[in-house]
Amino acid sequence: MKNENFNDRNVSDDYFKVDIADYPTTGWGKFKRVIDRTFKIELLVGLWVVLREMFKFNIHTVKYPEEKMPIGPRYRAVHEMKRLWESDTDRCIGCGLCEKICISNCIRIDTKIDENSRKEVSEYSINLGRCIFCGYCAEVCPELAITHGGEYENASDQREHFTMYQDMLTPLDKMKAGKQLEFEGFGAITPHEDERVKKTPLAY
Amino acid sequence: MIKFYIDSKEVTATKGETILDVARRENIYIPTMCYLPKASANASCRMCCIEVKGQDGFVLSCNTPPVEGIEVITNSDSLYHERQNIMKIYNVNHPLQCGVCDKSGECDLQNKTLEFDVGEQNFAVRDQVRKKKKWGIHTYDPALCILCERCTTVCNETVGNEALYIKPGGYKSHIDIKLSNCIQCGECISVCPVGAMASTEFKYTVNAWELDKIPSSCSHCSSACQLNYESKDGRIRRVTNESDFSSLCGAGRFGFDFENKVEAKDPLAFHKAVEAFKNASNVLFSSIITNEEAYLLNELKKKLGFNLVNEEARAYQNFMKSFAKFANTSLYNATIDDLKSSEYILSVGCSIESDNPMVKFGASQAVKYKKAFVCTIAPVEEYAISNVVSLYINNEVGSEEAALSMIADTFIEDKSTQQEFYDSLDFGYLSGESNISEEEIALLKVNYQRKENPLLIIGEDVINHPRANNIAAIAGYLQKSGLFKVMVIPPFTNTLGVSLICDLDEAKAGLSVGYNVSSNFTLSAKGDGDLDMPALNQQEGTFVNIDKSLVVLNAGATYNGYELNDIANALGVKSDNIIDYTSKLGFKDTEFDDLDNYFDNVGNAYRGYKIQATQNQENLKLDEVGELGEFNGSVVYSRNPLRQFSIFTKDCKQLNEKMLLVGSEQFAIASKIKSGDNVKFSVKGVEFIRHFKVDKHMKGTVAYNPTFDMDLKSSNYRYNQVKLEVINE
Repeated sequence: MKNENFNDRNVSDDYFKVDIADYPTTGWGKFKRVIDRTFKIELLVGLWVVLREMFKFNIHTVKYPEEKMPIGPRYRAVHEMKRLWESDTDRCIGCGLCEKICISNCIRIDTKIDENSRKEVSEYSINLGRCIFCGYCAEVCPELAITHGGEYENASDQREHFTMYQDMLTPLDKMKAGKQLEFEGFGAITPHEDERVKKTPLAY
Repeated sequence: MIKFYIDSKEVTATKGETILDVARRENIYIPTMCYLPKASANASCRMCCIEVKGQDGFVLSCNTPPVEGIEVITNSDSLYHERQNIMKIYNVNHPLQCGVCDKSGECDLQNKTLEFDVGEQNFAVRDQVRKKKKWGIHTYDPALCILCERCTTVCNETVGNEALYIKPGGYKSHIDIKLSNCIQCGECISVCPVGAMASTEFKYTVNAWELDKIPSSCSHCSSACQLNYESKDGRIRRVTNESDFSSLCGAGRFGFDFENKVEAKDPLAFHKAVEAFKNASNVLFSSIITNEEAYLLNELKKKLGFNLVNEEARAYQNFMKSFAKFANTSLYNATIDDLKSSEYILSVGCSIESDNPMVKFGASQAVKYKKAFVCTIAPVEEYAISNVVSLYINNEVGSEEAALSMIADTFIEDKSTQQEFYDSLDFGYLSGESNISEEEIALLKVNYQRKENPLLIIGEDVINHPRANNIAAIAGYLQKSGLFKVMVIPPFTNTLGVSLICDLDEAKAGLSVGYNVSSNFTLSAKGDGDLDMPALNQQEGTFVNIDKSLVVLNAGATYNGYELNDIANALGVKSDNIIDYTSKLGFKDTEFDDLDNYFDNVGNAYRGYKIQATQNQENLKLDEVGELGEFNGSVVYSRNPLRQFSIFTKDCKQLNEKMLLVGSEQFAIASKIKSGDNVKFSVKGVEFIRHFKVDKHMKGTVAYNPTFDMDLKSSNYRYNQVKLEVINE
């Protein structure tokens, strides 16, 4: 593919053209524009719109923090740890890839062997003071266990705000209610994945 | 010399080499899964197959010696297809758990699967229920096992314990263990190409690819085996080794967490230490020390004039001095490799089972590969090595001198140089007092016929013997005679190095400073003294090992405190780093950073350099055999369990041997104690309280008394007559 394909941003022919007069270039023209803007009623037009809307009570401002804008499913804010739909157990297998790939070295993971001889995560923390929310951890995770969520409010009384594993894990009641949201961002499962899976032969 | 061609490259093989050996030497790649250069070929994986021009079918290169003129092809379409199919079959039902598997990143199966591009499973077989098993120090996961038989091969051949075996059953076949035979050395873990054999403690804690590999040497015994400290975040997580070529014992592999966890420097204690050195009349130290620090202590001695005291190294030094006078060379001439290739091994005054694991491994390999005749002359029969020993000769305690002089008399033909010595020997008396019959000695002589590389091992018992000088003289005389290669096992890690470097004295009256020895002022790497010192896995330096090689030690764990070099700098013996002294040790002027520590791909060790022995021309006469001591009643033998050596191995988490006085039923009856009693006894003024346990396999009235909780090895004879007192509450 050539560079021109990228440089040509003209994706459609039916653009809506706005009627804007050319900017004045001469000194006289600029002077005339100042006079026009000062003594014509353009200012009042704007003030009228504000006044009208005020009386109509049709306010578009989001009253943060009482109100919040909806966040897109691909938004990369504070991490979440997901559970398996089948068994409600943690998806994380403790492979440590997120720790390895993390470019700001903010993930720490310690694992151990549990009583069923399986790998268990004993310590897991993300230093949000260092995290740059690049999304590599979510991308590399082979189990879709660590993902980004919509929680973007990180105010803390210290720079090194840590997030522990239990804080990130989907709460069980939310899980039971079937309200765990899947991350759709980079690293997430793509549509029609089932069709591409090759099955192990069981012809015995 | 056999001349042949591999991939149209002309190569030559010596007798005994296989095609694979030659290919590896010539840097020609042949893939393998089960091959282990240090053991005999399993030929179970069939990956190493090759083609020979003009021959139908494939040939296994791992166990086929080349024939003159053949043309070997190591890679072709049909070979690739064959190898790919082998990998496909290995991967049938192999759990897809690389994400959590410990081996992931250093797994042979993973590597070869990718190499031969196996992307999917084409074959099918009904999977079995395979339960994971926990065998103490290691766990076994039969689902991951590919039955390459490496573990059973090392267990049977290299270690010689015959604990692991294959339980056959077609697709159900798996590895099983006879736990009573297992010495928990972890060799099986190190050779496992997949994650089937894993360390229980390490399993699932750190991924293999996250660890920093620091090549170093083991600091527990005088073998100073090659090992890699693998650390993450400044903490050693496990120990690995070049398992293709070398071995490690349990202490080396699992006893790595003895580092001194110092938070910060303590200037006050440091100041006190400097003052203590200035006022000291003695500096005591143990031989678990690097050459550089021993050299530094010697330099400090020259400057400050204190007496440098290390009784155990001094005993060894005196032994070797006397040995040198009669051997006409300053060092003994055998190495562990000589031991492995020996066909006749005779040991006097040593516990083959536990004194030095590499001697035990070596003897076992000599038996397996060379069908060696092994005879131990010792007061106790070590039943655990009964599969190695061909003949036990039980001498009376204290009669090692008699044993050696009888050997000299029987073996040496030309007696003219030491005629007076031979004339003074009274065989009847010696045989009666030592309890070694003339038939037994004659049997030794009979078995000596047509054996290659005969070797005599001299152990710690005789180094600290009251008649050590004369025993050393006979041993030296035997080495000079050329009848045997001789090995004198250094009792502690660097006893040999210390004995070569330091000028040692007896203790005199006055204040003492102890380095890893409790004293008026104690510098301790255990962290329980007056000033902290780095443990041996936290410092750089060198050792002189049993092979008389200077080997490199590197720091695996971080250390935050003061070092001996800081004290020396404060006292006016200045250098930036302790390793600046490496080139001044008096062996060779090689700098520390120029010392190697690796194996090449045929297994030649490049580890430091060999210490050259100095020759002399002395021609002395042997002394007459002295009065043989009498040891009656209960005798305890200072002998540590296999995986314990010193205070540094004592507290390692994975080395959990207990302080047990172990004796036979006969010992219990003779001493009027029973199994489970707590007993009190004293050996040369040192009081011991031990839990007594009867070992049903043991015989005789000698009990094993572990001494690994003591900071110094005693320079006394290891057998002592004791009075036992039961102190049960």
